[in-house]
Amino acid sequence: MPILSNRCFKCHGPATQKGGVRLDSLVLARKKDAVVPGKPGESLLVEKITADDDDDRMPPVKAGPRLTPEQITVLKQWIASGAVYAPHWSYVPPKRPAVPMTSGWSRNPIDSFIEARLTAAKIKPSPEADRATLIRRVTLDLTGLLPTAKELDDFVADKTPDAYEKVVDRLLASPHFGERFARYWLDLARYADSNGYSIDSPRSIWPWRDWVIRAYNADMPFDDFTRWQLAGDLLPSPSTDQLVATGFQRNTGLNEEGGADPEQFRVERTIDRTNTIGAVWLGLTVGCCQCHDHKFDPLTQKDYYSLYAFFNSCDEPTLPVGASAEVERQVNELRKKKEDLDQAGKTTEANKVAGQIRRVLGRTPTTLILRERKPPRETFVHIRGDFLRHGDPVMPAVPQVLANGIRSDGKRLSRLDLANWLVSKDNPLTARVVVNRNWQYLFGKGLVGTENDFGMQGSLPTHPKLLDWLAVEFRENGWSTKKLLRLLVTSATYRQSSTARPELNDVDADNKLLARQSRLRLDAEIIRDAALCASGMMCSKIGGRGVYPPQPTEVFSFTQKKQTWIVSKGEDRYRRGIYTFIFRQSQHPLLTTFDGAEAQVSCTRRNRSDTPLQALHLANDPVFVELADGLGKRLLKDGPADDAGKIDYAFRLCFSRLPSESERNRVLKYLADQSGPPETKWAAVARVLMNLDEFITRE
Amino acid sequence: MHPQIENAVARTRRHFFRDCGVGVGTMALASLLAKDATAADVGKRTDPLAPRAPHFKPKAKAVIYLFMAGGPSQLDMFTPKAKLTELSGKPVPESFIKGKRFAFLKGTPTLLGSSRSFGKYGKVGMDVSELLPHHRQIVDDVCYLRGMHTDVFNHAPAKVFVNTGSPQFGRPSMGSWVTYGIGSEADNLPGFVVLQSGPRGPRGGAALWSNGFLPSVYQGVPFLKGANPILDLKPPPGVDNAKQRGFVDAVKDLNGLRHDAVGDPEIQTRIAAYEMAYRMQTAAPELTDLSKETQETKDLYGVDPGKPSFATNCLLARRMIQRGVRFVQLYHTNWDHHGGPGEDLNKDLTKCCLDVDRASTALILDLKRLGMLDDTLVVFGGEFGRTPMGEKREKVGRDHHIDAYTMWLAGAGIKRGYIHGATDDIGYTVTENPVHVHDLQATILNQLGLDHTKLTVRFQGRDYRLTDVYGNVVKEILA
Repeated sequence: MPILSNRCFKCHGPATQKGGVRLDSLVLARKKDAVVPGKPGESLLVEKITADDDDDRMPPVKAGPRLTPEQITVLKQWIASGAVYAPHWSYVPPKRPAVPMTSGWSRNPIDSFIEARLTAAKIKPSPEADRATLIRRVTLDLTGLLPTAKELDDFVADKTPDAYEKVVDRLLASPHFGERFARYWLDLARYADSNGYSIDSPRSIWPWRDWVIRAYNADMPFDDFTRWQLAGDLLPSPSTDQLVATGFQRNTGLNEEGGADPEQFRVERTIDRTNTIGAVWLGLTVGCCQCHDHKFDPLTQKDYYSLYAFFNSCDEPTLPVGASAEVERQVNELRKKKEDLDQAGKTTEANKVAGQIRRVLGRTPTTLILRERKPPRETFVHIRGDFLRHGDPVMPAVPQVLANGIRSDGKRLSRLDLANWLVSKDNPLTARVVVNRNWQYLFGKGLVGTENDFGMQGSLPTHPKLLDWLAVEFRENGWSTKKLLRLLVTSATYRQSSTARPELNDVDADNKLLARQSRLRLDAEIIRDAALCASGMMCSKIGGRGVYPPQPTEVFSFTQKKQTWIVSKGEDRYRRGIYTFIFRQSQHPLLTTFDGAEAQVSCTRRNRSDTPLQALHLANDPVFVELADGLGKRLLKDGPADDAGKIDYAFRLCFSRLPSESERNRVLKYLADQSGPPETKWAAVARVLMNLDEFITRE
Repeated sequence: MHPQIENAVARTRRHFFRDCGVGVGTMALASLLAKDATAADVGKRTDPLAPRAPHFKPKAKAVIYLFMAGGPSQLDMFTPKAKLTELSGKPVPESFIKGKRFAFLKGTPTLLGSSRSFGKYGKVGMDVSELLPHHRQIVDDVCYLRGMHTDVFNHAPAKVFVNTGSPQFGRPSMGSWVTYGIGSEADNLPGFVVLQSGPRGPRGGAALWSNGFLPSVYQGVPFLKGANPILDLKPPPGVDNAKQRGFVDAVKDLNGLRHDAVGDPEIQTRIAAYEMAYRMQTAAPELTDLSKETQETKDLYGVDPGKPSFATNCLLARRMIQRGVRFVQLYHTNWDHHGGPGEDLNKDLTKCCLDVDRASTALILDLKRLGMLDDTLVVFGGEFGRTPMGEKREKVGRDHHIDAYTMWLAGAGIKRGYIHGATDDIGYTVTENPVHVHDLQATILNQLGLDHTKLTVRFQGRDYRLTDVYGNVVKEILA
């Protein structure tokens, strides 16, 4: 099937049928005798892919390379054995598979699945990483911080058999866990503190960001996490938090440019919401169906606009949070008044009331939420994706191919119905997609490498049974992210050393079989956090409005508007990276230089590039220079008296390990080359250490 | 690069080889690219920006894209319409605007004839208005596209469309695609540089030179005004060149020791990145130091030393191309002449033209006399044009027009002294040889030796490209 999907469906699939031939289902493929089950010799498909005449042969040259002899053999055998069109793996709900037999290496079922494939390939897993590497790895992975010298010492000294598990439990209980995992979720939500497009005005939606942090810290079950964000406003008597949660969908850009058609950009936001549901929960590229039926997956344009219809009847109000009861009462009263005026079409009066609401609110924080509009807007298919060209009307519905288990029974389905279905047993995708992303966070890439495409064009899972086992486990453990992560990070697979194994370069260059861990460059924000940790200058305050660490004023010389960026004072200067205020169109250079999320569309995986501008940033940016100074001072203040001792201490702070003899000597030599007072010399040493590849890598 | 990305890139390179049936000939082709010292680099450099062989023999080594942000008025600069002048003040015929949407115009707007006088210049007999007195000198070096049209009529989406092929944010920009495809010959400067002049930055901001879903090494690098054009280029206070060298050496040695211990090839890439960063610290200030340029050259461009301007940026662009930079994009604001304050089609358009006329002309003349115009492609134009109808604001102005506007190209295998395309009597619609934004993109890539249908990257289950699923190379304008 992957061969057909990759090489044939584009012209002979759901969207296009050249020569009237369609190959994506047996019934249709039989029509022109393209496929005659059991009889490759009579099948047009075989005749075409083996045609002698170059011009006749399929696929045509301009569609790419010829099929390989192996591919042709596979197709012939498939037809000979009856041409069974098995449904695509990800459209079949996962069932918990039996766990393979294990040896002594396995610590939990994950390892059994991994070991089974390694054994079949005659590869031995890597040994467990040493304790220093382990604690630095798991601390960075779960909290985005470096372990302190004490945490390191305690762990190394702890001889109990569950020493590592205790560390894991401590980290999962840390309030910084929520910050780490919230940032991943912010990527998916395309979070920013401004409206984007041209004017890019600031917006207030940080209360939603804080809610995400709290939700992760409280280990809110993922099914509720989904319901609140998709349809918190439709829950019975929604709480403030449930309303705040709908802000997930308000993270779309907003075009404030003069002369922009509000309806056009409302449609764009709705499309963005629809595509985001596809990427984040379904792992499907539904956006392909905006203009035409999907070329590869059984998704139609009608399916797309039916999904779109769930989000097409939303208003986009602002919610005050944390206001006094009196303020809330007044605001609610004024809101009602405004709604009535709106209904009556009295725009001028309504605007006046809006002004009154703003005055009453004053400095009360607000956040952006979503609310269902009554009566609902009608939704139509947009012909060729043009919102001005209406096709057939559609009702909210999930894609037909997945629609198992959701029935409207004549009533109009709501966003809450969609949310409930997304996290139901009948939906084959959500649990797999979420589990796979968490795997990606901890191993560098998912069991399905195309984490946002589980469709026909996506890559197949490297360990399908493990993926399904984890998906079922996740659902049955009550959708607990912390339990899932605990399972992952306590596995022997996760705990392996990441040291390269050149002998595997030929058999498993991509480390798909997981015979070792991977060295992963830290995310942009975490690079800042690591430097804050090493310098001892980090402010551990959690939540609140975005902050403004120093950045060059030139950042705004390339924007339409000079944005206000008054550098934060006091502890706010040293907040974690997640709290840096994000102007969507001119992000802090740390974020743009180190592959931060673009905050334009949902980002399911960041790139990890390695560039000269990154080197300039770490070496010369005033923030990092200041933090290197801080580390230098810390070495002088808290470190041992002798130079070698200080270097050892610095290594423990930065890399959670002691230097090798050659490393220590090289640093000593560098120190000897420095001049000036001790603060300057040790700041220079600190600067070197904070620029090492290892500093911005978790090994 | 991270192995995943490396794989993705390697895979795409394999695409190149496979799709063009290039095998042993590749290296020979690669050396066609490089006439000078860079020939050695082709084999030597391993960083993601190392020069790579294109799909076929290129005409252009580099591109200078003069982006006139806001939408210049073709009707007042390049396309006089007698009929429009005659009908000035009359309502636009309903047939033109039926079913059309505009950014600001409502109801039935009235036509606005140009108040500018035009002459015909060069062998080609191109119409150029009084606003561009210098431009007359280069009409026979330039190819005019009078049939340009685009899809979107708001600034930010329209600029993103020109740069990425999609009006939605999130896709890689043209310069990113180009450096992703063929790398850059500069090993001490970024491969894709963005310069800015005028009162403010372009609407759309960093999205216009974004790497989208490509690795950030292909991102456009904004060059800042002054002696330190790249953010964080300058070592911190108290660190002189010798100290910085000592720092880089220490980082290199310690990274090397770690590489010995863990064997990750990524560490080698990082060592190389620090070396290139160190070279940039010398190369970038040398690049922006115009003191070695002759007075005659500075006068040609109209450079006022020490004063940032479009003229300075044009000269810098030429210096960048000389140093192997692949793609330079100059934004000049603000061409959005609606008739509001600061947007007067009379006063403010005059000023914009004054800002760019001498320097854009000088760029062509200078490249020509240096023998560089043959392999440098220069592009001039905005994200759209302006309507034949006037806007009723405080002053005179025109609205955004997407159905017909003018751009020009020069150099690198483009016909010289050639006019392509025509519009109707009032300049509303294209009547012959339309060129869509995707066609322009396909043509720019073509001159660089890249087939726009094959320069793809797999993302979200499909092969993305600059031209989406559209675009045709405009063969008629190729020499």
